[in-house]
Amino acid sequence: MSKMENHVLTVDGLSIAFGGLKAVDDLSFDIRDKEIYGLIGPNGAGKTTVFNCITQFYKPDKGDLRFKGHGDQIVDLTTKPVHDIIRQGLVRTFQNVELIRELSIIDNVLIGGHIDFEANTLSQALKLPKARKEEKKYREEAEKILEDLGILDRKDMLVGGQPYGILKKVEFARTLMARPKLIILDEPAAGLNDSETIDLARLIKRIRDQYDCSILLVEHDMRLVMDVCDRICAINFGKLLAIGTPKEIQANKAVQAAYLGVE
Amino acid sequence: MSTFIQIILRSLETGSIYALAALGIIIIYRTSYTTNFAQGVVAMFNTFVVTFLFNKFGLPLWLAVIGGILSAILTGFLIDVLILRHTKNVSPVAKQIITLGLIMIVLGLAPIFFGVDPLRLPRLIESGDLGILGASISYNGLFNIALGLAIMTGMFYILQRTKWGLAIRTTASNEYVARLMGVPTKNVTMAAWGVAGVLGVIAGVMTAPMTSVTLNLMDEVQITALVACVLGGFQTFHGPVIGAYIMGIVRNLLLFYVSSVWGGQILYILILIFIVFRPYGLIGKKIVKKV
Amino acid sequence: MKAKKNIFQKHPAIGFILFGLLLALIPTLAEMGILKNGYVTTIGGTLIYAIAALGLNILLGWSGLISLGTAGFMGLAAYMSAYLTVDLNLPFEVSFFLAVLIPTLIGILVGLVSLKIEGLYLAIATLAVAEVLRKTFEELGKYTGGFSGKSADYPTLFGLFELDRTTTFYFIIFVLVIIMILTSNMMNGRLGRALNAMRGSEAAAQAMGVNLLTHRLIAFALATIFASVAGVLYVHFVKFSYPSTWSLAMSLNFLAIIIIGGLRSIYGTVLGAFIVYAVPDMFLKQIPFFEDLSYVLNGVLIILVIIFYPNGLISIGYDIRKLFRKLTKGGAKNE
Repeated sequence: MSKMENHVLTVDGLSIAFGGLKAVDDLSFDIRDKEIYGLIGPNGAGKTTVFNCITQFYKPDKGDLRFKGHGDQIVDLTTKPVHDIIRQGLVRTFQNVELIRELSIIDNVLIGGHIDFEANTLSQALKLPKARKEEKKYREEAEKILEDLGILDRKDMLVGGQPYGILKKVEFARTLMARPKLIILDEPAAGLNDSETIDLARLIKRIRDQYDCSILLVEHDMRLVMDVCDRICAINFGKLLAIGTPKEIQANKAVQAAYLGVE
Repeated sequence: MSTFIQIILRSLETGSIYALAALGIIIIYRTSYTTNFAQGVVAMFNTFVVTFLFNKFGLPLWLAVIGGILSAILTGFLIDVLILRHTKNVSPVAKQIITLGLIMIVLGLAPIFFGVDPLRLPRLIESGDLGILGASISYNGLFNIALGLAIMTGMFYILQRTKWGLAIRTTASNEYVARLMGVPTKNVTMAAWGVAGVLGVIAGVMTAPMTSVTLNLMDEVQITALVACVLGGFQTFHGPVIGAYIMGIVRNLLLFYVSSVWGGQILYILILIFIVFRPYGLIGKKIVKKV
Repeated sequence: MKAKKNIFQKHPAIGFILFGLLLALIPTLAEMGILKNGYVTTIGGTLIYAIAALGLNILLGWSGLISLGTAGFMGLAAYMSAYLTVDLNLPFEVSFFLAVLIPTLIGILVGLVSLKIEGLYLAIATLAVAEVLRKTFEELGKYTGGFSGKSADYPTLFGLFELDRTTTFYFIIFVLVIIMILTSNMMNGRLGRALNAMRGSEAAAQAMGVNLLTHRLIAFALATIFASVAGVLYVHFVKFSYPSTWSLAMSLNFLAIIIIGGLRSIYGTVLGAFIVYAVPDMFLKQIPFFEDLSYVLNGVLIILVIIFYPNGLISIGYDIRKLFRKLTKGGAKNE
C-alpha cells in the first residue's frame, strides 16, 4: 500500500459491468487533501456508478479504492460494507435529497451523527446521564453547523414542506456532522437557479476551507464545476477522457467532442 | 412404490391449486407493485358465491362456476378501481396494509352475506378413478391437474406471445415508462386484478370439495402461495409457479413420510431455512437498486 | 410547524404518568357505580392490546416493516406463562422473564432469516411462523391444553402479594406507563432517528452509517418483547387462553390500532386500541351483526385513513390545536 502522501482518495483501475455492459472501465484518478475535485461527463457517462462504487453501494468488479481516513489510516474501501463507509470519513449527498420528511431539520442533521453516539440502546431507553449528555453534546454541534449554514432558526421545523434550497443545506449539514475527510456531492446544483448556484459555489469553497476536507463534485453544471474545482476528471462511456485543471479540461479536444456543443 | 406415485399424483393436484394462487399473487405484485395478502379471502368469497348459486339457487355446477368467475372479475375490478386507483401517493408498505384491511372487510362481510355454517361444494367430476402405475387418481384430480396446467400454459402463452402479454410485462417492468410508451397501464392493472380474481376462484372451487366452504377455506393456500413466491422469487412469473408445485409435492411427502400432523408446518420451516442460503429464491436474482 | 417546547414535550414521561393516574381511577369509578363493572375488564384488555400495538408501531410506524405474527408471539408468551406458573409453580417474576425471553429469541431467529433480504419477506415469514404457532397451540395439549385452552390466575408479586382484578389492573397500567416512557425515550433518541432513516430512505440511512440488518432486528425484537409482555399480562388478567384467540384476525386488529390511531404516535396507539377494542365492546355490542360489521369497519377505516389521513386519527388532535392557535392568535403566522 503506497503512502498516499497528500492524497485522500486513490482510485486505481476501477471497473464494473452490469449484465455484460461495462458501466465503468478501468478508471483511475486521485484526489488530494483539501482539494475540490470535479467529476464530469455527459449523461450516462457513468459518473453516478463511479461514486456508487466508491461508497460501496455497488461492489466493483475490479480496482483499488484507497482512502486516507480519520487519523490518517489508509483503508481499502472495497473491504468495507456500505454502512461502514461513513465511519472511515467518507460521506455523500443525494441528488434526490434523501431526508426524512416526518422528522425535524435538526433531527435529520443528527442522523449524520449516528455513528458518533456511544451510549447503547438500554441507556437511551432509561435516559441515563451518559445518554443525556451525549444527546445534548451532539445537539449543540448540530445547531452550530445549522447556524453556520444560516438555517438555525428553522431547526425544529419538519423537513416536509421546506423549500428545495433549504433542503439542500440540511443535507449539507447532515454530512458535516460526521466531520468527513471527503464529501461526495451528487449533483448539488440540480434544480437551483443562477444566483442559488453562485451561493452554492461560495458554500462549497467555504466548507472546504472551514471544515478541512476534500470535496468530490459530481456535476452537470459546467459553470459551477469550472468555478470551484481545483482539478477535474472527465469521463465518457465509463472510460477516462482527461484529467486536468479547469482550463486544461476546457481546452481538451476529446472532452469537447464528448459534450458536442454543451459549453 | 405405488404409494409414492399416489402421493406424487395427489401432490400435482394440490400443487395446481397452489400454483394458480401463486400466479394470482405474482401477477398483482408485478403490475400493481403490491403484495396482495387478500387474494385468499377474496377467492373464498367468490367460492361462496359459487356455492350459493349451486346450493341455494339450484344452478347446475358449471353455471355456478361461471357465476363465480364473473363475480371474481367484478370484485377484482372493484378493488382496483375503488381502492388501488387512489393510491398514487401511497408507499408500497402502505399498499400492502391496504390489502390487509381488505382482508378485514371481506372476512367481515362474508358471514353477513353467506351465514356462518360450513357449506359443501361437490367436485367438478363426481366420481371415477384412473389407475396409473399401480396408483389411482380420481378423474376429478386428473381434471384439476389438467385444468391447472392448461390455465398455466395459457397464461404464459398470453404473457410471452400476445400484445396483451407484452403490455403486462412492460407495465410489470416499469409502469412509468410503459405509460410513456402508450401502454394502457390503467387497463392492465384492472385486467390483472380481474385475472387474479379468476385464478383465485378456480383455486377455491378446486379446494372446496376436499374440505368444506368456510371462512378459512383458502387460508392454507394463501400462506403456501406467498411462501411459493418467496421460494420461487418475486422477479419472474414462472418462479412462484414452479415453487408452488414443488411445495405441493414436498408437503405431501412430509405429511406421509414424516408427520401427518406437522407436515405443512415443517415445510414452512424448511423453506425459511432455505432462504438463508438462497435469499432470492430458486430463480430470483438480486436486484441492484438505483441509488 | 414550529414545535413549542412545553413541559409535556420536554418531559413526556410526566404526561404518561398523569395519564396512568387517570386510568387508575377507573376501578374506583366502577365501584362507585359510575362505570359498569365489566368495563374494568374491557379497558384492562384494551391497555394490554395497546402494549402489543406499541411494539408493532415501533416495527411498522418507525421502521416500516410489517409483521403478521404479533398475535402468535403474544399467544406463545401467554401459554408459556400459564404453564410456568400453574404447572411448574414458578414465581410470577421468573415466569414473566422466561415467557418474554423465549418468544423474543425465536423472533430474533425469524428476523435473522427474513430481514436480510427485504421487508416484504418479514411479513410472509411471520405469517408462516404464526401458522406454525397456531398449530402448536392446538396440538401440544400437554402444555397448552389444546382446544380446551389453558387457564392461569392473577399474578402474585414477590411471592407475597396475591393480586385481584383491581390490583392487576393497576399493574397493567404500571407496565403500560413504563413501556410508553421507554418507547418515547428510545424513539426520540438515536435509535428512533436511525429507524426513521431506515424507513424513509435505506440508501441515506446506510450512507449515514446505519446497519440495516441490525436495526431491523432491533425493531423486530422490540416488537416481539412488547407482544410477549402483553401476552403474559393477558393470560394473568383474562385468566385463560384458547388457540382460536391468537389468530390472524387479532394481528390484523393490532395493525388497525396503529394505523387508525396513528403511526409513530404513542398516545395515538392507545387511542387506536380504544377505538378498535373498547368502544365496540362497551357501547356497540348490542347491535346484531355488530361483531362482523365492526371488523369490516376497521378494515374500511384502515383504507380510508391510509389514503386520506396518513398520520392517523390522533392527528385530528394536532389539527384542532393548530386551528385553535390560529384562531386565538388572530391569524398570526405559524412559521
